[in-house]
Amino acid sequence: MSTPASIWRQHKKLHTYLNKAGQLIVWTKIFVAPVGFEHQTPYLVGIVQLEGERLPLQIVDCEEKDLKINQKVKIVIRKIGKAKSEDVIEYGLKVKPL
Amino acid sequence: MRIKVRGTGLTKFGELWDKSLSDLAQQASLEAIADAGLEKNQIEAVFVANMIYGKLTGQDHLGALVASSLDITGGSVRVEAACASGGLAVHLAIQSLLSGTYQNVLVVGAEKMTDASPAAISSALMGAGSEAERRAGLTFPALYALMAKAHMQKFGTTRSHLASVSVKNHYHASMNKKAQFPFEVTMEKVLESPIISSPFTLFDASPITDGAGAVVLSSDFSTPGVYISGSAVATDTVDLAKRKSLTELAATKQASQQALKMAGVQISDIKVAEVHDCFTIAEILAMEDLGFCEKGMGGEFVQKGHTRLGGKIPVNTSGGLKACGHPVGATGVKQIIEVTQQLQQKAGKRQVKGANIGLTHNVGGSGATVVVHILQT
Repeated sequence: MSTPASIWRQHKKLHTYLNKAGQLIVWTKIFVAPVGFEHQTPYLVGIVQLEGERLPLQIVDCEEKDLKINQKVKIVIRKIGKAKSEDVIEYGLKVKPL
Repeated sequence: MRIKVRGTGLTKFGELWDKSLSDLAQQASLEAIADAGLEKNQIEAVFVANMIYGKLTGQDHLGALVASSLDITGGSVRVEAACASGGLAVHLAIQSLLSGTYQNVLVVGAEKMTDASPAAISSALMGAGSEAERRAGLTFPALYALMAKAHMQKFGTTRSHLASVSVKNHYHASMNKKAQFPFEVTMEKVLESPIISSPFTLFDASPITDGAGAVVLSSDFSTPGVYISGSAVATDTVDLAKRKSLTELAATKQASQQALKMAGVQISDIKVAEVHDCFTIAEILAMEDLGFCEKGMGGEFVQKGHTRLGGKIPVNTSGGLKACGHPVGATGVKQIIEVTQQLQQKAGKRQVKGANIGLTHNVGGSGATVVVHILQT
């Protein structure tokens, strides 16, 4: 569960990832989503190899047919899930194909 | 090491709307205690395995809740390790017996899942994943789908390899009246069902299930019977992306090698196994990582029928998580019950002839906890 303080801690790190590029190792298209993501289905999530670390990230601004194994991708900052009207809006890392 | 499986009890698995969590835990426990030939007041401690009831309902403190519903006043603890909660509870109960503190203890795994919505269940189960995985909108089907895609890319595993796990486990479940889905399915049905997370269709996934299983474990060897001769737990990163390999569960290798060594047997000695097929790829990975076949060959191994009843090594004779059902906290206990019944030659139509050594393999999360047990007669 995200709280305002945990979102604030997370947000402080985001800028260090801006404009980083990586490679998409593997991905899946999700049709049954957890709470807060239902409105996005179907959506793409993959494992991305960045310099020195691997992260699970959503893939945006593309269709599945545009992706290939080892696809080059770039980090972008986007809204995460759907916040309720009184909640803090959470932003986080996603990737888009280069 | 020798710990006796003195009694077992298992509820029907399925959508049991008229049963609460306590009803299920009580039913399985009373059956196990009676099967053990004991009275309730002879049970010295209770280990309750449960993963998500607290999150779904707000009710915690399940150790005392379950023990008191049985009028047992000895020590009780709730054990949680995601979908490996049941296996871990058995492991910890064994340690309590080996320490000499107790002689007869009850392990009961119970889960009540069908009261909640699919989205609430998906979110609750993702408690077994990492913060980064939740933020990426991942689900458990999706995490295993990523492993399936990686396995397909690296070893050429196919959709029909995956589907053959589901077809085989439904065939086994058709002979198990406790199973949630006691009927067969065709390859076409599996392949043509709706996609939940590519490449998985609905029939690649274990269902949402209510159910409970209980065993009485004992250090009393005055009568013969099935005993546990190996018990090991291994852990790995909770975050799938942080693993060295996406096509193996290192914790399966570590736990199984340790449990086999403890029991003094080889993997080739195993006559029957219950493995963690939460998704079809998970059973293929288990075949490889436990050492039943070579790495990369798991799909072919299953499709050729080697793991079907009558094959080289029958796997998931209960129907597995896929077709018997997956009440997450109960699964690891149910696996012990199925293998015990096989070794007692009491498995009816699904009996593996001459089964004298068996293995259970219970996984938590996407592979962060693995518990392996070896059972013998």
